[in-house]
Amino acid sequence: MLSWKEANLNGPVSKTLSEYLVEAEGLAKRFGDFVALQPLDVKVQAGEFFGVFGPNGAGKSTFIRLLTGQLRPSAGTAKVLGINVDSKPRLVKANIGIVPESESPPSYLTAAEFLEFVARLRNIDEINEKVNYWLDWFGMTDKSGTLCKDLSKGQRQKVMLASAFIHEPRLLFLDEPFVNLDPIYQRKCRELLLKHISNGGTIFLCSHILEIAERLCTRVAVIDHGRVLAAGKMNDLRNSKDETLEDIFIRLVGKSIDEIEAESITEEE
Amino acid sequence: MSAKRDEPNFGSSFPITFKMMFKEEWRQNVDFAKSRRILMFPALLAIVSMALTIGLRFLTGDGVSGANAEEISRETFTFEQLRTGIHLMVFLFSMGMGTFAFLGRSIVSQRSGGKNFLLASPAMQPIDLQTTYLAYYLKEVSFYIVLILFPVTIGMALGIASQSFLEITTPLLWTSLLPFLVCISLTMAQGIAISFFGSTLMSRGNQWNFLVPILGAFIGAIIYVGFIPMEKAIIGLWAHSNGSINALIWTPLAFLSCAILAWISAGLLPEDFEVRITGRDDLFIPIYEKLGKIGLRSDSRMRILIAKEIVDVLRSGTLLKMLGSFAVPLLFLLLLAWGADFASFPIPFNLLSYAPFIGFFGFNFYSWLNAIDAPDHLNTMPVSVPELLKANIWTYFLLTSWIGVIFILLMAGMLDQWNDAVSAMIVMLANSIYIVSLSAWLMGLRPNKAIFDSGIMARFWVATAFPLIGLFVLSFTKGDTTLLENWGMQVSAGGLNAEAQAIELENRQSTSLTGILGICAILVSLSFLYLRLLKRKWGSAPFEN
Repeated sequence: MLSWKEANLNGPVSKTLSEYLVEAEGLAKRFGDFVALQPLDVKVQAGEFFGVFGPNGAGKSTFIRLLTGQLRPSAGTAKVLGINVDSKPRLVKANIGIVPESESPPSYLTAAEFLEFVARLRNIDEINEKVNYWLDWFGMTDKSGTLCKDLSKGQRQKVMLASAFIHEPRLLFLDEPFVNLDPIYQRKCRELLLKHISNGGTIFLCSHILEIAERLCTRVAVIDHGRVLAAGKMNDLRNSKDETLEDIFIRLVGKSIDEIEAESITEEE
Repeated sequence: MSAKRDEPNFGSSFPITFKMMFKEEWRQNVDFAKSRRILMFPALLAIVSMALTIGLRFLTGDGVSGANAEEISRETFTFEQLRTGIHLMVFLFSMGMGTFAFLGRSIVSQRSGGKNFLLASPAMQPIDLQTTYLAYYLKEVSFYIVLILFPVTIGMALGIASQSFLEITTPLLWTSLLPFLVCISLTMAQGIAISFFGSTLMSRGNQWNFLVPILGAFIGAIIYVGFIPMEKAIIGLWAHSNGSINALIWTPLAFLSCAILAWISAGLLPEDFEVRITGRDDLFIPIYEKLGKIGLRSDSRMRILIAKEIVDVLRSGTLLKMLGSFAVPLLFLLLLAWGADFASFPIPFNLLSYAPFIGFFGFNFYSWLNAIDAPDHLNTMPVSVPELLKANIWTYFLLTSWIGVIFILLMAGMLDQWNDAVSAMIVMLANSIYIVSLSAWLMGLRPNKAIFDSGIMARFWVATAFPLIGLFVLSFTKGDTTLLENWGMQVSAGGLNAEAQAIELENRQSTSLTGILGICAILVSLSFLYLRLLKRKWGSAPFEN
């Protein structure tokens, strides 16, 4: 769906569900003594809308930064689109779209210039048309010449989203993508992402907003304190038919906190 | 959806990065001062350069009539001296501008704080750090050529052209302009490349933090005392001095060598965008408590801000770099005092000659202080920009004054001028107070961005050049008086043709010391005035650097 021309929106769909676009094996990250991510294995198939959920500081952003070559792992390997992230991070970045958590576009470029920069780095065709298309899509045509530092937080987030979409990547990594967006553009983006999936695209999303998972994700993982507490389809995670994701989340995360407190008391004894 | 894309190569990623970085630099400068004032800066340079070109014949003695050759050669500069002087100035300036290897980590750590720069783009985009930094290096070189060296050359051309409508002559030739521009640009490219290389090594940490400043100062000193001729150390100066077409033919290769050095430096940069998450002991409270011992009240906001600034300096890991930027020129002077035979120097340097410059070097450190952290979060706090500026000045003194004191004591020992140590310390401290207060008043929280603001730079130049020159010249009477005889007496009496007159050394020394301390008293008074004026100028300014 991320094609910029309407004509391409209904183009041929090629879903090969057996293909893993994201593969992590024993992937772990330490910052000195601090364990940000314990060894974990994750596989995401083509066409999946995979969500990673967890409380603040759970390790979600670290996980996405490891998979997108922004951080180097302390242990384990990650492959994205079949490419080893650690050895070929730039090749991975050329082929994916990333929306990081709370990062601004370069302050002293205009929105249009930043999109041009991103597009030219990937050597895509019809750059001006695509820049204009995405600025228009996000309702920012009148802001195309405004310096990014002078945009509101929501507008900066729109620029970051546009920069992830402009080269029409097959795989998107989105870290809290809807933060600061108004309800209209949250809905518009949700619909866009679902179309992307229906056209054979794949999305890896991190968030702590559980409503998003219930509306969008085909499979989720709940992580806390750098470890995966549970992973699977929504129905697989439910203890009962009526259990919401929020119930699941509180059950899993709450349990983990109790366990950790119990462990620390045991250690002190 | 797109087909699989290749990793962008140098040919596709470099041009767009360079182009956008150039825009980014321009916008940053325009954001600080309006574009009109930025454009005034090259215009101002061109006017000064034109005036110097018109007056060149007096500097070189070509415009003097009636004086004999010996007098002229003693009282004027040769072309070689002027050439060396201008290349040395540009080289030292570019050394100060090339320490951008330090920028990377702080920019990366600030990118989620609302400000972001293209230097941080390798984190998110398919571009490598080496290409990004090479683009940054070439952007810096070309930006300074366009905004500084090109206008200077234009001014020289206007000076030559003025011969046709003003009844003056200048020894400068049209044919010397292009070689000047090429060679001086080369000097700048080399200075920035060397400085970038040094800062890259320092950014790798460990032993490099100490080795680079010491090596830098050592190399500077052996060049200055002539062990390595300056013409061989500064390539642009060599090509310019040589003057032949053959020498100029080599300049493209020399530019390429500078770019290769920058490329190698960029390759040595540690390529990690990791934020180190480690538990730290509380520093704020202990520092806050210690500040009470120097008389800051517990209810004072200043004490809180100073404690926060000191924690920033210590935690950001920039203390060593900042001390390096302050200590390198001082080490250079120290090695010079150790290795040079001052008795043979035409200008009688002594301890009092150095003291004003130690204060002046403090500007570097003060600039760093303002760039450690984005202060935007203070917009929500009950504090004002003038309070933060004053806190930075306090921090500057608390962290650096001991360096200046040690330096003065070491120099006094090396030069065996203990009698002047107290006076030198007064001069050093007065200049330190003056420079940082002036910078705070003129430039606020953005001293690094003010360089191309013509209004600020003109005021900064006037406010610093006169006291520095005054103190420098007055200090000479502590040694040989030949220069004062030639400069002071002759020039005031009758210009270059005036007769030399003997002066009484004792009276002159006494007058000189009174003059030095008098200037210091004026500088300290002006400093307090600048601090009082901070509220008026920056009282309603937002926290933004």
